[in-house]
Amino acid sequence: MNGVVTYMKRDFTKWFRGRVAVISALVMPAAWLIFVGLALPVKFTGNYLDFITPGILVMTMLSAGLSGGALLMFDKILGFLNKFLALPTPRGSILVGKILFITGRGLVQTTIILVIALVIGSTLLNPVQYGLTYFILFLFGVMISAFATTIALYLDDHDSYSAFNTMISMPLFFTSSALMPYSVMPAWLATIAHLNPLSYAIDAVRDVTAGGFPMVPIAVLIVLTTIILLVCMYVFRKVTV
Amino acid sequence: MKAIETTNLTKYYGALCAVDHLTLSVNNEIFALLGPNGSGKTTTVLMLTTLLKPTEGSATVCGYDISRDGESVRKKLSYVPQDMAVDIKLTGRENVRFFADLYGVSPASDRVDEVLAIMELSDRADDLIRTYSGGMRRRLELAQALVHEPSVLFLDEPTIGLDVAARKKIWEHIRALRKKGMTIFVTTHYMDEADQFCDRVGIISKGRIAALGTPMELKARLMKDVITARIEGVFSPPFVEGIVFVGQSGDEVSFTAENGREALPLLADALGKSGCTVRALSLREPTLDDVFLQAVGQQEEPHGFEDGKFRTMLRRRR
Repeated sequence: MNGVVTYMKRDFTKWFRGRVAVISALVMPAAWLIFVGLALPVKFTGNYLDFITPGILVMTMLSAGLSGGALLMFDKILGFLNKFLALPTPRGSILVGKILFITGRGLVQTTIILVIALVIGSTLLNPVQYGLTYFILFLFGVMISAFATTIALYLDDHDSYSAFNTMISMPLFFTSSALMPYSVMPAWLATIAHLNPLSYAIDAVRDVTAGGFPMVPIAVLIVLTTIILLVCMYVFRKVTV
Repeated sequence: MKAIETTNLTKYYGALCAVDHLTLSVNNEIFALLGPNGSGKTTTVLMLTTLLKPTEGSATVCGYDISRDGESVRKKLSYVPQDMAVDIKLTGRENVRFFADLYGVSPASDRVDEVLAIMELSDRADDLIRTYSGGMRRRLELAQALVHEPSVLFLDEPTIGLDVAARKKIWEHIRALRKKGMTIFVTTHYMDEADQFCDRVGIISKGRIAALGTPMELKARLMKDVITARIEGVFSPPFVEGIVFVGQSGDEVSFTAENGREALPLLADALGKSGCTVRALSLREPTLDDVFLQAVGQQEEPHGFEDGKFRTMLRRRR
């Protein structure tokens, strides 16, 4: 446990010192929120900003997770990982620390996006709703950072990984329920959207903001996260011993 | 109890044998593993530091088996890889504190101050690593490695890429650590450094130990004067009584002789007769370079380079 905290502390310190990266990661989701959330003329809802905010929150977490996937790979390429592996600290805490850092960083970013959304006119929720929203985003964050870390470790090359990252991030977002409800999607898109793990996180947050408790999407997220974590641990063991 | 003991330690990368039944024992001393690039030095260190599983054979560090008791082994050792991995966005103190926390050293901040002082980094401790020179970064890595007072210190090419003054300083620190009772296992391909600073050296070639002993012993084994000739033309070793051909590197060929002064004219004659032109002759005492040349033979980059094998090897070594 001690190791996990120490590894996370290292990453957070490094992140806060790279000021440009802290800000630049927020530009894209903020732009979506403002230019699409406020400007798009839609007929299916009276407050599109409230509709799109859950999608943008999940999108923020997605890009935080995907860009964080490269971190452990870089530690490996630059020789840090070998130094860490030669320590008596349990080796698993390297991986757990990294996943928690990526998720925590994503949560900091989603908080800023949430504040921006409130400032430009989304509805204020009650504390329980915010608690649930953070829980869902945390689950999704763990899932996506474990997934990204696994792919990066497997590819073991920065160029291939950034190509992979560019390849999947936009399609994942557009084929989810982030921008429109299933009812207004063309049938083929609705089918894909129902299979997209992003939709489960978005639907869950949206359900929470509407005052419900999204039992099924949360259950699906928990199962998916567990499976991906197990695969991630397996790949990590394979590349480290 | 020996600090390090290996028995038939072997590592295959696919079909490539990187370390070939290595049997070695290291006492409380500065031991250097010398060898050309790709001879298996780093692979050996990776196995001893439990970062790589041996294909065959076994080894112990401070009495703990590297395969069965990895965590106890890791408690006893520190490892500084050749990559120079320190976080440039953190200060020197933060970098060392990070390791102190991972090792669970207490009181951490006192120990951090102590090792920074040992490595003469106290006055720059709160500067970002970005501003450190290569030699300082290496010393900082040593400070990180010392923070939990290890019994065995593994250094992989500790002086690579450093200037002469920085190298000397690193070696002075290594000697000082040895005096305090630490066992130090170094890999290097700088013969002069091994000769000057190490208690015992093992020369490794193609995964096997080709020569083992103190630098003095190894040089004494040649026991003779070394003659180096710079030649032009086709070289075939001439047969002169009392003169032994050692090896060739580029246009330089080396011989040993009991009495160098008398051998010089004989050798010049014989070389001339054998059909090559002698451009220069020199006579000197043997160095570890000569020992190395004799043990390893002519040094050449392996050709018949197999791209696929090389890639798997690189991938696993990272």
